[in-house]
Amino acid sequence: MTVRRDLVGAVLAVSILAVAPPLVGSSYLVGVLTVAVIYGLWAASWDFMSGLTGRENFGFALFIGAGAYTAGFLDTLAHLSPWWGLAAGMAAAALFSLLLGFPTLRLKGPYFALAMLSASAIMQRLMLIFWETTGGEEGLYGIAPLFSSPLAYYYFVLAATVASVAFLVMLARSPWGLILRAIRGDEATCLAAGIDVTFYKMVSLIISAAFGGLGGALYAHYQLQVSPQLFSVVTTITVIIMVYVGGMGSIYGALGGALLLTLLTELLRDFGQWRLLVYSLTLILILFFLPGGLVAPLWRRLRGGGGR
Amino acid sequence: MLEILLYGAVTSAIYALLAVGFTLIFGVARILNLAHGSFYALGAYATYVLSSTLHLPLALAAPLAVLCVAGFGVLLERVLVRPLRGSQIGVLMITLAASLVVEQVLLITFGSEYRNVPSFIDGKVAIGHVDIGGQRLLTLGVAVVALGALLLLIHRTRFGAAILAVSQDPEAAQYLGIPADRVFAQVMGLSAGLAALAAVLAAPFLTVQPGMGLLPMVKAFAIVIVGGLGSIPGSILGALLLGYSETIVAYLVSTSWTELVSLVAVLFTLVLRPAGLFGKRAAF
Amino acid sequence: MAAYRHVLSALIPALALVAGALLPSAASAQTGPIRIGVPTPLQLQVGRDTIDAVDMAIREINAHGGVLGRKLEMVVADETENPETGINAIKKLTADEKVDVLIGGYTSGVTLAQIPHIQRAKTIYLGIGAASPAVTRGVRTDYENGKYIFRAFPLNSQHQARALAEFINGVVKGELGYSRVAIIGENAKWVQDLVPLLRKGATDLGMEVKLAEFFDTQTSDFSPLLSKVKDSGAQFLVVILSHASSDVFVKQWYDARFPMLIGGIDVKSMDADFYQRVDGKAQGEIAANLGVRAPLTPKTIPFWDAFVKKTGRAGPVYSAFGAYSAVMLYAEAVGRAKTTAAESVIKELEKTDHVGVVGRLQFDENHDIKAGPGFINLFFAQWQDKGERVVVWPKEQRTGKVVLPAWIKK
Repeated sequence: MTVRRDLVGAVLAVSILAVAPPLVGSSYLVGVLTVAVIYGLWAASWDFMSGLTGRENFGFALFIGAGAYTAGFLDTLAHLSPWWGLAAGMAAAALFSLLLGFPTLRLKGPYFALAMLSASAIMQRLMLIFWETTGGEEGLYGIAPLFSSPLAYYYFVLAATVASVAFLVMLARSPWGLILRAIRGDEATCLAAGIDVTFYKMVSLIISAAFGGLGGALYAHYQLQVSPQLFSVVTTITVIIMVYVGGMGSIYGALGGALLLTLLTELLRDFGQWRLLVYSLTLILILFFLPGGLVAPLWRRLRGGGGR
Repeated sequence: MLEILLYGAVTSAIYALLAVGFTLIFGVARILNLAHGSFYALGAYATYVLSSTLHLPLALAAPLAVLCVAGFGVLLERVLVRPLRGSQIGVLMITLAASLVVEQVLLITFGSEYRNVPSFIDGKVAIGHVDIGGQRLLTLGVAVVALGALLLLIHRTRFGAAILAVSQDPEAAQYLGIPADRVFAQVMGLSAGLAALAAVLAAPFLTVQPGMGLLPMVKAFAIVIVGGLGSIPGSILGALLLGYSETIVAYLVSTSWTELVSLVAVLFTLVLRPAGLFGKRAAF
Repeated sequence: MAAYRHVLSALIPALALVAGALLPSAASAQTGPIRIGVPTPLQLQVGRDTIDAVDMAIREINAHGGVLGRKLEMVVADETENPETGINAIKKLTADEKVDVLIGGYTSGVTLAQIPHIQRAKTIYLGIGAASPAVTRGVRTDYENGKYIFRAFPLNSQHQARALAEFINGVVKGELGYSRVAIIGENAKWVQDLVPLLRKGATDLGMEVKLAEFFDTQTSDFSPLLSKVKDSGAQFLVVILSHASSDVFVKQWYDARFPMLIGGIDVKSMDADFYQRVDGKAQGEIAANLGVRAPLTPKTIPFWDAFVKKTGRAGPVYSAFGAYSAVMLYAEAVGRAKTTAAESVIKELEKTDHVGVVGRLQFDENHDIKAGPGFINLFFAQWQDKGERVVVWPKEQRTGKVVLPAWIKK
């Protein structure tokens, strides 16, 4: 029952996003929506690993940046077709997660968070120090667009994100996802039950990183530029706030949170220099009054029937 | 060599004042307070307002600024942190949002320009062949005294005993009649006051602008990890380690590499000895 | 539950607002006001002064009846120092606000990120903040797409390097008789472009470059670097910084009385009240300025005084000179072209010969502002007693001599 309602909700949400551009009628807002959907992909991938297993990844920006820079380098140096960039971005991010996962995944909560955080911050500094190769603080610019029409790119990004999020949601609801949630609940019991906890955590990190990298490559070919700011803690925190507002552990909620907050930041432009103050005050209100988040809990109430 | 010894000591002293407060609040309340950098920024701006706008003498403005920020710390704990203390990520997020608000309020009130916090000592001191600003030496001295006083407070007073008890087991402490909630608030105030003290001392020779709190907080965070979350001697040792390695890298390699030092130190500590140098709790 | 209701009741008016904002705004092409889009970091001084200066120029033009009988109006978008927000600002101004021209910019990184999006929108851009030579590179390599980009201000970093070398030749070597210099600069693109040129220029002059080092823009403590410079035996320290903390730099130089003179490009030290904000610790620093309150052109002093009167601040920062002049020269180009159509206006902009507030403005074949005596130049001014700024170079504008701080022996 709830599954069918979830499906109806998902179809409804996707159709709203699909018909939004003609309704909006402004290529600026289509651009904002495109970036919002990419943030949605990032938020959903973050949630898949961290929301399910309870290991908050404060270095997620590393995967975003790895995907974006890989796509950027392939385009500006090797002049390969942007499609290769998408695949290579995913692969590069997955590779980084593999390298970092082994030493860090055994760490508990805040320690894992900080280890990942410092890894991404180190990458950011390296980008600045080796500016001769990486372009320094300006990063790489003049990246070719994937589609020349912004509308076509929006639909492509939307399709890629919807497919990725659907895949992640299904994975999270499979027996596989159950194991991940069990690890969050009680790692020791899982170990005792003979579950290879490290393996599951590792694979979930790799999946999360790969989709983060895909988002990074999509971002690079949309913004036509990548800069070290992508690697910064600010990027990670922006994504985590989106997941938090969406409701942790639901994945689709993260997508909703990303759309909500990206649109909010852009619509607050009329506040001029007060914009960020209004944004952070809004954030405090949401965090304080809705500690479980906004989007996923709201949907559960609308849908009824409990569950996720 | 002598300049590395002197400048490294001053840097370490500032770091220690910041890190000790950060680790204290984690040790007692198990929360990571991302608004810790705001205390530092508010300390500097409070001194600026009291001395430059209200024209109070610095000797009065400085302690007043520290008190105001300590009060702000207590308030923050009461209003925003306490209701969410059950969830670690909840506290992380709300203190982060609070620090964004503080930065924006400072930016809108005072603009992005640098502000001037007057120094206690203007002249320079020559030690051997090294010239060093007098305010720096004062910072070193005051920091050492303040840290000593803090250790005495914790190990020799009833308040300190309550802090230790709550940090070991808040529930048991509550049964023994120690009001854990009040201890949390007091420790938050203490930790905010220490950060503000660091600002009052260091702002005359470091930067004063709305975003000034971020970097010191990141450093404090790094130090606390290296020293072991929750351990005061650990964070003092961590501060020395980081302060000196940054100074040495700046001298021998390049200033463009200094910001990398603390990050690499954190990553290595976490991977090799996650509990930090002095940490008791297992991190696995 | 109650909490949800609160949030919902807050969200509904917000959604209504959104719906209102989404309705396409009608902007007809060749009638109605000429719209000037200003992408700039709103929260920084550079941005604040850009907006005030554009506003001043618009008021003056409108007071004289506007251009082609049309009034000018300003639309501002916050570009912050983040490329993503910067790109969104451009898209908002070009797609939604349908502006006729863009005047603004600050961080080279943001400007470079915006350029492809400006070109795709086929909108004229008059940059007034970023100094990286790469900004106008597209004009040379791909004129058809790149022609929309102009740099009306400031000098690009190559010109700045040349002006610095002339200053070193004239003042550091010529007047002070120094032969050993050190060069330090923040690790940013425009500095990375500038330092090798400057180093070569200084060496060609027969100066000994004792040390050249980049520092992180987040550097919080300059003392180790200053000590290294002192140990290198340099007599003059050339510093190049914009985003890094220049207050820390001068405070720490002064506090320990480092025995070398400092000077160069210190963007924050261009502010008229920088001296007060660092408690007088900039005493002796020689900073390059893009404009000073001196009769550089007949318009300089009237503009300066009008700006101070309008804003109540101590003086304009560099972006104000560029922003004001850019509006003026755009209005002139539209007047000559008799249309706001980009293609025609670009042709006229290329012919610009305008006496601006700090010099004569002409574009070179790369759409970059011409530099040098008579055109836009760097003016080296030293902070002297009581915060007085004394111009020491170039010779034609000088108002006084270099005075060494008390602790530096010649």
